[in-house]
Amino acid sequence: MANYNIDAKKELTYDAIVIGSGISGGWAAKELCGKGLKTLVLERGRIVEHVVDYPTMNLDPWDTELRGGITPEQQKKHYKAVRSGWIGTDTAHFYADDEANPYTEKKPFLWLRAHQMGGRSLLWGKQTYRWSDLDFEANAKDGHGVDWPIRYRDIEPWYTYVEKFAGISGEPLGLPQLPDSHFLPPMELNCVEKHVKNRIEKNFPGRHLIIGRCAHLTVPHNGRGQCQYRNRCGRGCPYGAYFSSNSATLPAANASGNLTIRPFSIVQSLIYDDNKERVTGVRIIDAETSEDIEFSAKIIFVNASTLGSTQILLNSKSKRFENGLGNDSGELGHNLMDHTYRVGAIGKVEGFDDKYYKGRRPNGIYIPRYWNISEETKTDKFLRGFGYQGGGYRGGNAANTESFGADFKDSILKPGPWEFFITGFAECLPYHDNQVSLNTEVLDKWGQPTLTLDAEFKENEKAANKQIQEDAVDMLQQAGLKDIIGFDNEHPPGFGVHEMGTARMGHDPKTSVLNKFNQVHAAKNVFVTDGACMTSSSCVNPSLTYMAITARAANHAVSELNKQNI
Amino acid sequence: MDRRNALKNSGLLAGTAIAMPGLLSLLQSCKSESRLGWQPSFFTEDEATTISMLVDMILPRTDTPGALDVNVDVFIDKVIAQSYTKKDQQKMRDDIAAFNEGCKTNFGKVFHELTEDKRIAVLQAAEKSNAKFNPGIWGKSIGEQESIGFYRSLKATAIWAYITSEEIGKTVLSYDPIPGKFQACIPVGDVGNKWTF
Repeated sequence: MANYNIDAKKELTYDAIVIGSGISGGWAAKELCGKGLKTLVLERGRIVEHVVDYPTMNLDPWDTELRGGITPEQQKKHYKAVRSGWIGTDTAHFYADDEANPYTEKKPFLWLRAHQMGGRSLLWGKQTYRWSDLDFEANAKDGHGVDWPIRYRDIEPWYTYVEKFAGISGEPLGLPQLPDSHFLPPMELNCVEKHVKNRIEKNFPGRHLIIGRCAHLTVPHNGRGQCQYRNRCGRGCPYGAYFSSNSATLPAANASGNLTIRPFSIVQSLIYDDNKERVTGVRIIDAETSEDIEFSAKIIFVNASTLGSTQILLNSKSKRFENGLGNDSGELGHNLMDHTYRVGAIGKVEGFDDKYYKGRRPNGIYIPRYWNISEETKTDKFLRGFGYQGGGYRGGNAANTESFGADFKDSILKPGPWEFFITGFAECLPYHDNQVSLNTEVLDKWGQPTLTLDAEFKENEKAANKQIQEDAVDMLQQAGLKDIIGFDNEHPPGFGVHEMGTARMGHDPKTSVLNKFNQVHAAKNVFVTDGACMTSSSCVNPSLTYMAITARAANHAVSELNKQNI
Repeated sequence: MDRRNALKNSGLLAGTAIAMPGLLSLLQSCKSESRLGWQPSFFTEDEATTISMLVDMILPRTDTPGALDVNVDVFIDKVIAQSYTKKDQQKMRDDIAAFNEGCKTNFGKVFHELTEDKRIAVLQAAEKSNAKFNPGIWGKSIGEQESIGFYRSLKATAIWAYITSEEIGKTVLSYDPIPGKFQACIPVGDVGNKWTF
């Protein structure tokens, strides 16, 4: 297995520094190292080496003392993140310490963080969809936010480029609102999903139910193994079957010989030299020794996650940038978005009791957006749209059965009833007043300012959610399901874990933070290519777009560097 | 309790090192002459007797092991001792007390002193009166969840403890830790009991 060079002591100067090693930081590191730049990746947490550092990857439920349950100590350490419902004994070690890293919720907001090498690329949902011009033109068309400085044609080759490396499985369908990726073979729908698909597509022309497109390998790819259908992904995959920085981009970066990755490096700020009028490096605090260290480089990629990156920029104050680096527009920290979450319908499916499946497929179904994609599909109830994820499976909750005793016990050993659900993800408009700001009252364990989060879903998102639930119930009814329950958990932002914006791209330095190549308008050797750069939120999962935008920006960075433009 | 059987039925036999404290307490408990046959770390002996009797009635031994065969009661005691907050622990005590109080009111005795037909009547009534769980997706229940009563909550925990035990997981359910491939639609008869979690 790769041995990473973690010794940044002997060298304080690099060609490039990448802040963060999650999904976009991993890509920045791979691209910059691959193009010959001596690159330092600063990671605030520990090294997590692929396979070696996945201690729970092969555990069965009975192998842990509480069979997956977490202790009061873990509850306390992750007191904010536990609201997600995702944390168990098997994954708790990949979630950040909420006590050491506090944040303040002016309005409720779940900020899920993963402070280790690989970041949330170890934990993500792995749903991967291209955005379309429906998304890139949305702001320009309805006037919310500012116009994206790029269009689909600008990013299309980079989607192909990252997909060929990452490995995306799915089925090509030619839908204009959800462009096809460069696909590995799709996973299969089970019999109930096929049944529901047929009924929905027959009763609702223009709506499609497809297998999820995802960053799971369905065939061996680039030296990584294919999915074994264990569905134990969040613990790290021993086969490298899902895309993560740990399994894919960082080993590739390391193979170039140009990578140094420094763990326990909390970036305090970027260093702006008022005389040279440029960013010259990065100031860190060693998380273990609390030592302050400065590293310098020609270019800096900021990939600390949407809010992490903005926090660093806000904290990077100089004479030139009194309100945070690159904040001439006053938009830094603003226009925070997420997708709405857990709103939809669930029901039971009859007639398939003699059918089952083998394998725990780590993927579900997807229903692409069908509102506001053409003149015919326009609604005046809300702007933009939503898509659904979901799936069919044999489940049920035996505890609800009004029975106990011998027959009851035998019944719980059999596969339960077929259930099927869909849950929508609605696009969130960019609102200036959905924002984060530096909090100098609440400090973290290292005495650094923290973030105050102040964001909410507004009327448009609520109207979309209403439609999500109505349509979901309608579709499940038409599909012949029984005991249908519509639901809206009314989760505040953050639960979708698709936070985007706060350092948006745009044409105009007066209204945006980054240009069309993700360069800070007034500090062109600084690139922000994670979710912070997003100008709108689409209704489509964003990670694939972060990958493509990062590869594109890295290519531009090296080209500009070679031309001595930055 | 026979020590050999205690080991065989413990579900901890092939467990990891961290499972050892449970195993040790189980062995130690064999030395004491309690009517339980094990030493609770959270429950009082009376509480444990109620819990053991309840889980045995919900999931009795048939041609497959019952709840007590795979130490569901021992495990529930451990989960409460190690993972419940003080507040939730107290609520569990209060709930058991209220449950037994209800038995006294209706039948004049606490649960474990009732005859079997009376105990069945108590469970039948609880099945009717206790609220039900909403469905869940992705680790959380959907919608507004009505408060779940003591009985149904215990029943859910007992089922979970039962199906996540090693003996049931490996020898009764269909154990397939590395499926290798996904077969989307196969006859249920090809599998038999449901897949292990």
